[in-house]
Amino acid sequence: MLMNIGFGHFLVLAAVLFAIGAAGVLLRKNVLIIMMSIELMLNAANLTIITFARMHGDLGGHSFAMVVIAVAAAEVAVGLAIVVAIFRTRRHADVDKLNILKH
Amino acid sequence: MTFSSGDLVYVAPFLVLAASGVLLVLAEAFFAGKDRSALAGLTVAGALASSVVSVVLYRQMGPSEAKLLFSEMLIADRTGYVLTALFGVVAALAALLAPAHQRAHGWVIGEDYGILLLAASGMVILAQAANLATVFLGVETMSIAVYVMTALRRRSRRGNEAALKYFLMGAFATGFLLYGMALVYGAVGTTSMVHIQGRLASGDLGLLTVGMFLMVAAFAFKVAAVPFHMWAPDAYEGAPTPVTAFMAAAVKAAAVAAMIRVFGQFMGGDRLPYGVIGWASPLVVLAAITITVGNIAAIRQDNIKRMLAYSSISHGGVLLVGLCAMGLGAKSGQASLLYYLIAYSLTTMGAFAVVAYVGNRDNERLDIDQWAGLASRHPAAALAMTVCLLALGGMPPTGGFFAKFYVFKSAMDTQDQQLLWLVAIGVVNSAISIFYYLRLVTAMYFKDARIEIAPTRSAALAFVMAVCPLVILEMGIFPGWWLSL
Repeated sequence: MLMNIGFGHFLVLAAVLFAIGAAGVLLRKNVLIIMMSIELMLNAANLTIITFARMHGDLGGHSFAMVVIAVAAAEVAVGLAIVVAIFRTRRHADVDKLNILKH
Repeated sequence: MTFSSGDLVYVAPFLVLAASGVLLVLAEAFFAGKDRSALAGLTVAGALASSVVSVVLYRQMGPSEAKLLFSEMLIADRTGYVLTALFGVVAALAALLAPAHQRAHGWVIGEDYGILLLAASGMVILAQAANLATVFLGVETMSIAVYVMTALRRRSRRGNEAALKYFLMGAFATGFLLYGMALVYGAVGTTSMVHIQGRLASGDLGLLTVGMFLMVAAFAFKVAAVPFHMWAPDAYEGAPTPVTAFMAAAVKAAAVAAMIRVFGQFMGGDRLPYGVIGWASPLVVLAAITITVGNIAAIRQDNIKRMLAYSSISHGGVLLVGLCAMGLGAKSGQASLLYYLIAYSLTTMGAFAVVAYVGNRDNERLDIDQWAGLASRHPAAALAMTVCLLALGGMPPTGGFFAKFYVFKSAMDTQDQQLLWLVAIGVVNSAISIFYYLRLVTAMYFKDARIEIAPTRSAALAFVMAVCPLVILEMGIFPGWWLSL
């Protein structure tokens, strides 16, 4: 039997994805995985925005989501460039081993 | 929903910055292997042009006039133009610091200038934002550009590490900011902050509260409020000094500008800050912890850049006090915040200019002991640094004194003096902060030089070192005009 999929399902899915992303950022050590987790967080937020935009019948939310997609792409491009620079000087991409700057 | 080209006039500061930023990034291609000082000159010209345009627009707007632009995406008012003028000036000062530092430390990179202006263009959007979407766009335009500036010294392991830490923390905060905005949007059904204000009372309370908390946390990251401050000392230490100066002065000011818009203006009032959405409750706690922890950590630092980083964290806490006062309806709240932002930004630029001056290629001279005896060899630099440090410590007759005084005074103006305890914490911490600022002053004036100091000589650097302390003193002696902005 096919269940009725409503707005609530999308919102819960987005919340779960966001939580997975946040946990990934905090728990993983590889920079690339952390960046993937951040992307997951941004896309979960995007899904939430789109769902609410449909709920409220507001086009502003849709355009907001498009802006976010563009911004996220720019952010990843810069992030990957930084990771390449890190890898060139250290031959690894493990955040736990980045400790030249003391606390 | 039509595009009105007449509105373009009101975003002229942004257009000037963005256009000159893009042109400068392109121009870099034609300067390969040549002297980049011309690029710095163009950057200063572009940044100052945007400030001049801001001043012209400021004079055209009435004192409490506000004009919504582009279907309520941006807002044009005097507050916004004061801030855009400030960002232009700070970008110009940062561009003046860069050429000498680049030559002295061997990182001649022309892209620095174009990206500096692009970052400033993001800040200008934040100062004029009237919609959650434009706040997000402004935050990201600014942050992404500053990540790049932090990472510009590609072969420096310190620079790399600082950039990665800054990027990861910043992007993580962006996730929270966006999700918070999504929840607030879900509760009120619009991203336009003008309409959000009216619909807050009827919106879904659970979504609003969670969304608001996430947004507070994300902005706390951007202003480096404790406990979201861990990136700041590392990023400030690892970035090239002109970039650090720009981060400490302008990025913090821009984040506060966004908070002035979101919390102070659109979500302020008698009921909203503590009652309906309650953003003030977490913010007063963050302010208290930030002032205290920033100060105590600064005492332990021997590295001047890290000391200034923790000091700027502590200043961020005072700015949050002002923000709470403004949101809670203190009449002088906004004026005192703007005064504080101007005084703090110029002081920070001046202090980092001296840091850039004292170091040279062989030795960045960031250790406080290495500044011993600076006053006997380079009295002007020591004097400039002393004025800046006294201003940061909030001593009269500098602008730093009135900045703190007026922010705390506006906090006292709130109903029932509910922020009294916060003011008490702030005043005690101002006294503590004198200790570590004077430690550097004592080193400069009362200790004998053990090593010869060969500073980085440059007319532009000397200009920044002279102008910033003078303006801070002027602000302290004649504060009236600045407060009327």
